[in-house]
Amino acid sequence: MTTHEMNERELVSALADGQLQGDDIARALALIERSEEARAYWHACHLVGDVLRAQELAADAARDAAFVARLRQRLQAEAPQPNLVTAIELVAVGADSERVEGQKNFKDPVANDASLRWKLVAGFASLAAVVAVGWQLVSQDGTAQGGAQLAQAGGEPAQVMLRDPRLDQLLAAHQQFGGTSALQMPAGFLRNATFERPAR
Amino acid sequence: MAGAVMLAATALAQGGAATSPPVAPASQATPAERSAADWLMRLHEASRRRTYIGTLVVTSGGSMASSRIWHVCDGQQQMERVESLSGAPRSTFRRNDEVITFSPQTKVAVAEKRESLGLFPNLLKAPDSAIDQFYSARAQGSERVAGLEADLVQLTPKDALRFGYRIWSEKKTGLVVKLQTLDAEGRVLEQVAFSELQLDAPVSMDKLTQMMRNTDGYTLEKTELVKTSAAAEGWQLKKPVPGFKPMSCYRRPAGAARAADTLVQWVFSDGLASVSLFIEPFDRRRHGAEGTMAMGATHTLVRRLAERPGQDGGWWLTAVGEVPAATLQAFAQGLERRK
Repeated sequence: MTTHEMNERELVSALADGQLQGDDIARALALIERSEEARAYWHACHLVGDVLRAQELAADAARDAAFVARLRQRLQAEAPQPNLVTAIELVAVGADSERVEGQKNFKDPVANDASLRWKLVAGFASLAAVVAVGWQLVSQDGTAQGGAQLAQAGGEPAQVMLRDPRLDQLLAAHQQFGGTSALQMPAGFLRNATFERPAR
Repeated sequence: MAGAVMLAATALAQGGAATSPPVAPASQATPAERSAADWLMRLHEASRRRTYIGTLVVTSGGSMASSRIWHVCDGQQQMERVESLSGAPRSTFRRNDEVITFSPQTKVAVAEKRESLGLFPNLLKAPDSAIDQFYSARAQGSERVAGLEADLVQLTPKDALRFGYRIWSEKKTGLVVKLQTLDAEGRVLEQVAFSELQLDAPVSMDKLTQMMRNTDGYTLEKTELVKTSAAAEGWQLKKPVPGFKPMSCYRRPAGAARAADTLVQWVFSDGLASVSLFIEPFDRRRHGAEGTMAMGATHTLVRRLAERPGQDGGWWLTAVGEVPAATLQAFAQGLERRK
């Protein structure tokens, strides 16, 4: 094995272990893209990790390839849905989201777990097209003008998700210095670091 | 709980500027009788002492984000690496209250010091802690999350000015593995959960430190902030919002393009939820519609304030917090210009 090969393998291995940053990631990905050998090694790295963690995950590479091939076939057979993203963006805000008369129904704590899952599916579908953080207008104290940019024209303004870079900036500032919460240390910090933060 | 006292001392040493309230010994309560503050103390302790690797998924307001997390603690120092798996690539490193976020696409690294991280657990230990006064805790049995048995506790607000929480903490360690924010009707507004978690995984603090320090090829930016007080900036809250105490006040540049403008950020917290009031001079070109917006549990209210005809355009308030819209309205109504 040449030194060159060694380095390539180390690079792929480091990527699989999550040890790379910045340019190195790009270099490793480019390598995997162009070299079949690197791709095989990449798969081997994961296979080793999977076997170490769980026996049943140790499936062979052909199975993944077969799955992707089947998925591709099915996707081609599906009818196109051109209005998908538009429909997802127009998430109506329930008029009752502002209701504040107390905790009457608090005994049923996961009243909308199912609907959350639905939103999650919608989120997946829209993720590719709409990476931006969307704000939902809850109520309107004045007429819509300037400032906020409506992501979707038409329909009631009170039911439209909108995006405003300035708001995103303030949200980031709030998370940065306003996250004064007892939950900040166990979960809040991780949540804020995970959730899409606008570039500052 | 001698551990709690030690923790408070450690947090103080790390926080530096944090003031020291008298530390009351935590009650020796059984799981079923723990108060909200007792529960939170246990959760906090767990997050400080454990080493783990996991995948975290956040769902909020119809969107989803996930990240890979490395957490290590040697008893004194805490380090964390958060690698975003969705959206723009982003790596966040934390060493105690020092945070640096790398954006590989823009080659920018933002360094911050988050003093709010050092404030805990003073929030809970303070004799006038609002948490037990405004939230009640109830154990709700156990459930499995990410393959781990977890105790479930529900924190229910005692008034309509805050949201409720359901917290799943891993049985043996107390580590928070799932967290939901609930509105008054019990609907889930936001959820943070580990989809996969390896406790006591090998994480090298040296390696994380090395990665955190390696800013080669990045433009290092530091957030410029000036500590100030609301009174010095000419603001007061004539009618306090129950449970919410002022925590800090900063002056910061309003935006890179308009460095001359300053923005005042006044931060309030009830111990669990926090609210930031951003106040800046009104600018007709930038400030338009007033209103209230929601994204998951986070609400935002924008409103023009204290307009004085003939003199100036008044002020523009943006209130942001993980609280119901009514709470932000109470803040907006109570805010008063004194100059």
